[in-house]
Amino acid sequence: MRLRVNGTEHEVDVEDDMPLLWVLRDELGITGPKYGCGIAQCGACTVHVDGVAVRSCQLAAADVDGEVTTIEGLGTPQALHAVQAAWVDHQVAQCGYCQSGQIMQAASLLDLNPEPTDEQIDAAMSGNLCRCGTYPRIRAAIKTAAVKLQGV
Amino acid sequence: MRLLVAALLLATPLAAQETIASREEGLAAWDRIFEKVSHPRCTNCHVGDSGQPMWNGLGYGVDTVHGMGVLADQTRIGALSTPCRTCHVTADRANTVPHAPPHIDDAWRLPPVELEWLGKSSAEICTQMRNPETNDGNDIAELAEHLRTSPFVAWGYAPGAGRSAPDGTPEDIAADVEIWGAAGAPCD
Repeated sequence: MRLRVNGTEHEVDVEDDMPLLWVLRDELGITGPKYGCGIAQCGACTVHVDGVAVRSCQLAAADVDGEVTTIEGLGTPQALHAVQAAWVDHQVAQCGYCQSGQIMQAASLLDLNPEPTDEQIDAAMSGNLCRCGTYPRIRAAIKTAAVKLQGV
Repeated sequence: MRLLVAALLLATPLAAQETIASREEGLAAWDRIFEKVSHPRCTNCHVGDSGQPMWNGLGYGVDTVHGMGVLADQTRIGALSTPCRTCHVTADRANTVPHAPPHIDDAWRLPPVELEWLGKSSAEICTQMRNPETNDGNDIAELAEHLRTSPFVAWGYAPGAGRSAPDGTPEDIAADVEIWGAAGAPCD
């Protein structure tokens, strides 16, 4: 089947029900999305499908109905996405394992809701777990990114 | 006498025969309907303007709200925080994994806020459901059709992966709605 990931078309020979996360990591070598729980309880595997955050462990390859964007395609080191830049500014990451999922979730939130309230930020990010407890910095970085995106 | 009854039955159009139900039959049908619509499999999503789905009946304890701080908000699809479909993907596949977010072949969402069932009495829901102005614009036939064809209803009766479900089938409750309607949709 064909998948468009980060702007590139890929032909992959996989079972219809293989989770997208497996396709990305094991077939395409795109390892930004992480495996955490496999049942959408942690958010580490979050990617975008047509700009909306999706848990890639839940989406079967044959059910992908749009363009996939992973952390690798959100921004580049030379041109960071506003959320990635805010993450650097606030030094959000600690161990980092969950952070690609956190950033993808935050970017999707700000795309849908450019001026989220604190309650909406907390609600949006509550499905993304961080064992290092970086939540205060995550919320601060999202606020910074929201302001920056508003100014664009 | 039997011949007379038979003659009367033959003289009555079939459709007319099917639209007659006594008040007692209607009330009994509503009781069966309420037994289903008050099941957590239904009320977990038929919540009011809190936009807060529930996780009742899943073994997490009474009055447990949906995990991850989920807020479906006024959009009923969580568009202002985490969209339902972030986890509840759209897929026509069996639900086989315990504790994984269930999926159906439709966009996961809460019902319209006017169809609040959680915590409502039988009389309240009955009054709500018989009035198109408070039941999302459905007449009785449309309610029955919804019950027969909605992927949400079909999933509710067969949620998979060990989840609890109301007894019966979508066809059972659709037929009961038709009996209830034929009796004039009595509530008490």
